[in-house]
Amino acid sequence: MIILEDAFWSAFAALGFAMLFNVPRRTLIACAFAGAIGHASRTLLIQSIGLTIETATFVAAALVGFLGTYLAKHLRAPSLIFTVTGVIPMVPGLFAYTAMLRFLELSLGTGDETILQEAMVYFIRTMLILGALALGISLPRLLFLRRRPVV
Amino acid sequence: MDGYKPPLQHAELTDVIDLALWAGQLLLQHGAESARIEETVHHIGTGLGCDWMDVIVHSQGLYITAISGEEFRTKVRRVARLGVNFDIIDAVNHISRKVYDGKVDRFELRKQLEAISTMPHCYNRWAIALGVGVACAAFSRLFGGDLAVMFVTLFASSVAMIVRQELTNRYFNNFLIVVTTAAVAGIFASVAELLHMSDTPQIAMAAAVLLLVPGVPLINAAEDILHGNIGTGVARGVFGAVVTLGIALGLSIAIRITGVGL
Repeated sequence: MIILEDAFWSAFAALGFAMLFNVPRRTLIACAFAGAIGHASRTLLIQSIGLTIETATFVAAALVGFLGTYLAKHLRAPSLIFTVTGVIPMVPGLFAYTAMLRFLELSLGTGDETILQEAMVYFIRTMLILGALALGISLPRLLFLRRRPVV
Repeated sequence: MDGYKPPLQHAELTDVIDLALWAGQLLLQHGAESARIEETVHHIGTGLGCDWMDVIVHSQGLYITAISGEEFRTKVRRVARLGVNFDIIDAVNHISRKVYDGKVDRFELRKQLEAISTMPHCYNRWAIALGVGVACAAFSRLFGGDLAVMFVTLFASSVAMIVRQELTNRYFNNFLIVVTTAAVAGIFASVAELLHMSDTPQIAMAAAVLLLVPGVPLINAAEDILHGNIGTGVARGVFGAVVTLGIALGLSIAIRITGVGL
């Protein structure tokens, strides 16, 4: 039940950003669907089998990657429309700007060493999650569309 | 597509390379990753009769060399980055496939690219502002916010989105737009705490600025680096980091003005 609610709100998160990114109208609902599948499956993986957020993000993004490849064929649109909007709910925006806020706090020179540590933890998490997202959504291409480099 | 291709005349080659640059420019401006740009442009070039087309995507432009028989031409185009627009990427993708299949010649392609460049937005600006507000409200719910937090977030980020649209239409510097928009979102979201509307009012502030998160540049940065396009990847990553810094600065301003903590 919690997972369904997660999927519901993730769909709206993806939908709003899909409109911001001006996706073609025929793909709008599919984008929201991809967003729901991605974020809800990540939540499920974290809660049910206790994966770390980074690992769960990778698996969920791979799912969105394969879903995006399917939707791209079905709706005749480039797959990045579905994969990029589909992982938007998983983009670590909060971690990213919290890291920046902590870095800014360092300039106050309060001597509180935990601030630096917190900043670095958020920063590294942001990097790892972004890497997991990119690797996940490229997985179909990396596994099944391998080609000899043209140059 | 294999087999003999009649060599293109110099003027034809010029036309082909201009069209390829135009298509590549549309993709680069509107948020495609580098590998896709290279592939699409290469398909257009060879589909229009070149023996080979080399494409290098740079963070600020495109370098293209077209080769046909004894002739070759190289051109560079400076490309300014615009907002993400997947409708344009979809349209360029469609037409590039038709070119590759030999169904569209360069005269038809020119007409099509002109049409693509002037396509109206799929959604009107008020719908986008509301949609973005709903998205941020959904995020606030995912962060554990209650109904009051969701409504405040919806309001704050919709207003912030309208501010962002107004500033963008007036060609303000992108960094200034981000800082201002984040500050506006933060100030409106602080209402949740100032009016004691919820037990977790700081979630409204955290979620209201999410409309500014440079998701597409950051994902493209990681994808570019993963596929070996290190230069463009690093450039997009730095762009994303600077925008994120802008969000943090804008939020700091909001926190300083309202006295509400995050």
